[in-house]
Parts: sequence; C-alpha cells; structure tokens
Amino acid sequence: MTRLVVSELAKHFGGNRVLDRVSFSMRHGSLALVGPNGAGKTTLLNALAGVVRPSAGRIEFDDLDIAGLSTWKIARLGIVKTNQVVRPLHSLTVDEHLRVFTRGNDPVRRARALRATNLEEFREQTADQLPFGALKRLELAEAIVTGARLLLLDEPIGGLSRLEAEGIVETLRTLRAQGQAMIIVEHRLREILPFVDDVVALDRGRIIYDGPPSGFYADAAVRDAYIGRTDAGG
Amino acid sequence: MSGEPRPGWKNLLQGTARVLRAPIYLLALVTITVMAVLPQFFGTQYFALSLVFATIYITLALAWDLSSGLTGYISFGLPFFFGLGAMATGYSYYHGVGGSFSLLAIDFGVGLLGGLLFALPTLRLRGPFFTLLSLLLPLIAASFVVAFWQVLHMPTIGYIGIPFLAPSPQAELPILSVTTAAVLTVSFLLRRSHFGLVLRAIRDDEDAVESKGIRTLPYKVAVFSFASGIAAFAGGTYAMTTSFGGIDSFDFQFLIYPMLIAIVGAAIVRGGLGGIVGSVFAGYAIILFSQYLTLPEFNLQELTLPIFAFVAILLVLFLPSALGRPSGPREAS
Repeated sequence: MTRLVVSELAKHFGGNRVLDRVSFSMRHGSLALVGPNGAGKTTLLNALAGVVRPSAGRIEFDDLDIAGLSTWKIARLGIVKTNQVVRPLHSLTVDEHLRVFTRGNDPVRRARALRATNLEEFREQTADQLPFGALKRLELAEAIVTGARLLLLDEPIGGLSRLEAEGIVETLRTLRAQGQAMIIVEHRLREILPFVDDVVALDRGRIIYDGPPSGFYADAAVRDAYIGRTDAGG
Repeated sequence: MSGEPRPGWKNLLQGTARVLRAPIYLLALVTITVMAVLPQFFGTQYFALSLVFATIYITLALAWDLSSGLTGYISFGLPFFFGLGAMATGYSYYHGVGGSFSLLAIDFGVGLLGGLLFALPTLRLRGPFFTLLSLLLPLIAASFVVAFWQVLHMPTIGYIGIPFLAPSPQAELPILSVTTAAVLTVSFLLRRSHFGLVLRAIRDDEDAVESKGIRTLPYKVAVFSFASGIAAFAGGTYAMTTSFGGIDSFDFQFLIYPMLIAIVGAAIVRGGLGGIVGSVFAGYAIILFSQYLTLPEFNLQELTLPIFAFVAILLVLFLPSALGRPSGPREAS
C-alpha cells in the first residue's frame, strides 16, 4: 500500500499564495483532487512530482520526505506525473516512447501498456502523426511503463470527446482494480468520482473538503466554491 | 542510468549485426571504401589530399552530429577539441612519444578528458547558455596559444615537424578511411541503441524525460565527452597530415564545415540532424567541391564557405522536417 502524507504544504509565487498550508493523506489507493480554476490543484500535483519546489511543508512518501527533490529522483522513487498539456517526444514513434521509459527495458511491460491504452495500432507512428486522443493515452502509457507506484494524472480526459474519455476512464478503472495508486486532477467529475476512493477539494489554495465521493456534492463549502454563496439573498 | 537488464554477448552481437545490416549504413561504408581506393588507381596527388581532408571533416561532422545533432545541445566548441588534439600530438611528439597510433590514442584521451571537464558543469545549463559557453572555448584556446607559446616551449605558435601519418596522401587515405568507417560504425550503433534513443528523447523534451525518472546529465556528458575525443583524434590526424599542430587548428572552419556537412547530410538522409550517416555523403560532396573551387583555374576559395552557408540556410528554411524539427502544433480534437 502506497503511503503519501502531505503536511502544511505551502507554495508562494512572489506575493501570490497558491497553496496555503495544505495537509492530507492518501487513505486508500485513489484520490481525486478537484476544485475550481485557480484553486491550486496543478501546483499541488507539480509539488508532489518535484516540478515546483514547495515554499514550506513536508511530503512524505513511504516515510521519506520528498519535498524539493528533483523530478527524476521522485520519479525513480515511484511517483510519476502525466501532463495536462501533452508533451510528446515528437520525433519518436509510440514504441520508441515506451522503450525510452520502460523500467528494466521489459518488452512484456511495454506490450501490456500498449494494450491497456489501446495504442497498438499506432505503435510505429511518430508522435507528430497521432491524433490528440492518442497523445493523451500515450502520456498515460509512458507513466505506466515506468512502473510507477503512484500516478499523478493531470486532467487525463481534459479536451477529449465523451467517447475518448470513456476509453481512458475504463483504462484507469482497470489499473485501479489491479492495485495501481493514483491521484487524479480533473474537472469532469461525473466521469472520475464514481471510481475513486477519496476526494480532496481545493479552493484558493486551501482544502475545503477531504472525504469520500459520496459526501462531496452535499458539502456546503464545496457548493459555495462551485456555485457561489446562496445565503446572501436570504 | 536506467536499470536495464544486461543482455548476453550472443544477444548483443546478434543485435549489433542486425543494426549494421541497414542499407543506408552499408551504402555509406561502400562510399568510404570507393573513395579510399579511387586515388590508388587514378587522379592526382591533390585529389588524394582532398579526400584525406574530406575524411577528417567527415569524422568531425560525425562527432558534431552525434553530440549536438542527437541531443539538440548545439556546441560551437568543436575547433577547441580539434585544436587540442593537434596540439596534444605536437606536445606528445616533442616529449618523446613515438608511433602515430600512440599519438592518436593520446589525442583521443585528451579530448575525452577535456570534453568531460567542460561538459560536467556546463551541460547542467539549459537553452542557449551551453552554446554560448562552448563558443568561447576555441577563442580562449587560440588566445592562450598566441600569448604563451614561448612560455610553453613551442618552436613557434604551435608544433612544427610532426611526423606524417604516411609517406603520401595515397597511403594516408586508406588509414583515415578505416578510422572514419570505425567512427561511423560506433556512432551509428550508438544512435540505434537505447542510449541513442534517450539522447533523441532529450532533444525533443528534456523535462519530459526527467519527469519519467531518467537523469539526463550522464547521457549528455557521456556523448559529449566521446564526441570531444573523436574531434581531438581528428585534430591529431590533421596535425599528422599537415605536419603542424598549432594555432590554425582552432580556426572556425573546423566548426563551420562539419556543421554544414551534418546539416546537408541531414537533408540528404531521412532522420534529421543526428541521423549520422548523411554526413558521409555530404562530406565528400562538400569538401571535394570546395577543394575543386580552390584550384588555380577557378581561384574561388573565398566563395566556398558563403556558397555552402547559403545552401544550409535554404535547407533550414525549406526542409525543416529533414532537420528533425517538429512539423506543426498539436490540435485538440
């Protein structure tokens, strides 16, 4: 069981406080990180992955404080992030992408990732030739072949059609059923919340909800953040 | 570096043999062989000497394409390592080292070490900073030699009287063709290996590579050091061709021509910069043509570089995909 504990994590960009003493832990294997635009979700994910250095606080991964470590060190410890905006290696084929990142250069692992993400038909095509949906799946496949213990998925279905999103959600469900731990940042809650164990909601850099998906929509703070205060008019 | 399983010798040899069956590589080998043999039967001494220079420039172009073309870290430091090799040849010879191959082995070692010392701190930089720093290297080295040649007990601003590699250009050409073929083979194998794949990935998006757990610095330093060793080796062969290892070896023609060769080669052969093999074909064409223009009946020596620079600009402008640049932005569905 992957153990992630975030304590009093803060991130300031100049005078702008993007994360304000955020604390939460992964109680189960999957967690949705949600909130309105500008809530600090991607910054939090970037801090977990080492893309940004936190201003304060601790990130414990299996009892090791990883706050401020470089991305490659964190990735080798088992935390790998996918990008909201796809970042393919444009001159490499899909197969070459996976060969670069496959842990132990294991062909079985590569084949499994290709199958899981439905990329087999694109295997010999370069990233330049892929449609956007396939690029999103390639991001996921790259993360899978690293053998990551915890996937950080930044809007894995953002920008996709309903049909394409369903394919990725199905892949994530399967991975989850196989015991893969994951934190998902996503705006499309209807697709994601049904299969995650926990939800952490952020608003303006602070946690406003930390609990199971079942209680998420009923929470007053969540409704305020998403819909706005309704008690002003009496 | 990434924890790959170590393949057995049998698998490694089979994989190597498979890679070396690539038609484009075989064609390049045939070209080198034909060019090595040709002056033995006809042509002038000048033609043989032109081919000797062509092999030296091709070796340099292979070194540049391997390090800069493959990683995207454009280095202007090639003349520094070339000159370092030429100077090391002279220094070693004047200090009692005998035998051409011993001298060339020392050159390679000096270049490797020099490349390592330069690359370790500077390849941590991103963007144009590495390129700018590399530009300073040959300038500093040339100024250093001019300022301190007497202190360094050089007979002039360099070492004169270095023994020739062979008694004639016709005899030298096969030796240099073999070394060029060896550099081509090693570079081609590296490009096709997992190591080369990671270098290509670094060229495309280094941050994306690091974010998946690959530390890129050792890859970059290793290839840059190796390429520096090759450049120094080429410098040594140049010193043994001209019998002089000194200030002129740091000249920027030893950057411009190899870059031109690599760029034109990238356009000739699919795969873009870092494609390695194209340098062989482009090298012979460019160097022979430029030597042809310098003949007394034409006397167009000053025009050769502008002509090729113009060709390179046209290629970059009109054939960007041939150089390995992305073809366009990604669109969401």
